[in-house]
Amino acid sequence: MKKIINDPNRVVSDMLRGIAAVNPKVEYFPEAEVIASKEKREKVGVISGGGSGHEPAFGGYIGRGMLSAAVAGNVFASPSPDRIIKGIEEANGGKGVLAVIMNYSGDLMNFDMAKEMAEMEGIDVEIVVVKDDVAVPDREDATGRRGIAGTLLVHKVAGAKAEAGGTLAEVAAVAQKAIDRVRTMGMSMSSCTIPAVGKPGFALGDDEIEIGMGIHGEPGIERTGVKSAKELAAILIEKITADYDYSGSEVAVMVNGLGATPLMELYILAGEAEAVLKEKGIRPWRWFVGNYMTSLEMAGCSITLLKLDDELKELIDAPCEAPAFRV
Amino acid sequence: MQMTSAEYVDCLRAAATLLNENKDYITELDAATGDGDHWANMNMGFVRLMEMSEELAALPVSDLFKKIAMTMMSVIGGSAGVLYGSAYLKAAAAAKDAQAIDLPLLRDILRAQLEGIMSRGKAQPGFKTMVDPLHQAVDAMERAMEEGKNEAEVLSAMRDGAEAGMKATADMEAMRGRACYQPDKGVGHLDPGAVTMWYQLQTLADFLLKEGNAV
Repeated sequence: MKKIINDPNRVVSDMLRGIAAVNPKVEYFPEAEVIASKEKREKVGVISGGGSGHEPAFGGYIGRGMLSAAVAGNVFASPSPDRIIKGIEEANGGKGVLAVIMNYSGDLMNFDMAKEMAEMEGIDVEIVVVKDDVAVPDREDATGRRGIAGTLLVHKVAGAKAEAGGTLAEVAAVAQKAIDRVRTMGMSMSSCTIPAVGKPGFALGDDEIEIGMGIHGEPGIERTGVKSAKELAAILIEKITADYDYSGSEVAVMVNGLGATPLMELYILAGEAEAVLKEKGIRPWRWFVGNYMTSLEMAGCSITLLKLDDELKELIDAPCEAPAFRV
Repeated sequence: MQMTSAEYVDCLRAAATLLNENKDYITELDAATGDGDHWANMNMGFVRLMEMSEELAALPVSDLFKKIAMTMMSVIGGSAGVLYGSAYLKAAAAAKDAQAIDLPLLRDILRAQLEGIMSRGKAQPGFKTMVDPLHQAVDAMERAMEEGKNEAEVLSAMRDGAEAGMKATADMEAMRGRACYQPDKGVGHLDPGAVTMWYQLQTLADFLLKEGNAV
């Protein structure tokens, strides 16, 4: 294992300290592994959280127009309710707090419990759950579809609505609207190593890729040989549009890297995606290309589409001061 | 039987030891269908509880359970932490102001823990989780008590139920957690969370069945 770390068991604290050290607008609360905006105003707080290892998610997305606080769990593990409550308290400006989380069993339970405990303290909390990964069938009976990179677009929309003075119910409603209209499909080309474990979580051959793998290495749809950027753009977008009808719509598009894939390759993929979308009559309104939701040093990518209307366009375009999200 | 807080902590110590001895086994089970970190997280929780054992042993039953809840929740973290946290908070409510745990109270505590875990995890028996051993343990215990069995028989029934529930997870399809993303839904593998739950129920029953304990 070659990593720029001090102690494999302290990577989360050390990373959060770094995020706070370089951003004077946020504060780090080490006992709760929370990063929060120092700016306290009367507005709905928008928070997120989940396992670490997905940087800049979520500590990099704190700033005016996006998140108020982020709660970090250990690498790939949900934060506990006591940590989440600290995040809720720091984000609370008196108008309640919306937690935008991803659909994993651990996050659902921990945020649910934190919500109950915060409500006992008199803070209104709503939770919305992102489930954008079309590689997994959505099921009512099981945990179902995972949340991945599309989550950042939901954060953006919710944060902008809160900034514009929306009530908790309004911010939650617009976040849910974005969740209903966002879909993502990804692929991976290499494994990743949780620092405390010290060895890769799974193995992919040199000439192998996995379509639909999750951002923690969860199994995808199929393992196949290496594909060209053109083929990948077609495969990923086909899977997305088979799940949700984007034809004739204006969309926000995110081309996301998983950590080890160079921006050169993401731009090559974005160019191919643009051609595929044009062919399908889907009109990109705004593009986001970069490492938004990573999986440690995994190589690979995902493509996300969010169907826009006038309200969502305005919220996506609204100014945002989060260091890792530029409009 | 009359089990004091100090004796409950002795049970936890036995569970901590059994857990500690089975590092490779649990980690292997978990690596097959999950993240491979279940043992490490559970062990961290039990190590911390043992560091606090003197303080815990001196608490009234209800406060003991509350303290265990908060400790497991924050130290174990992830899914298991919040589930055991919910279980022990329900146990604390069930214990009310009891000075010691007798057999009917133990049954009520286990039933409350089961309900706490099922409601927090929105899980049912058969989902291939820690619910399965606990569910069968409580059912078997209640049945034995209704049939008027003696204490040793009731505790043995609880132990056997827990073991059967744990073993049954091998054939189940996972409905919660990471194993449900596997193409085979983990069929053929025991659920690691069910095994660590079984360790705790097993050590509880064995402690109470041992002569001279909890009298």
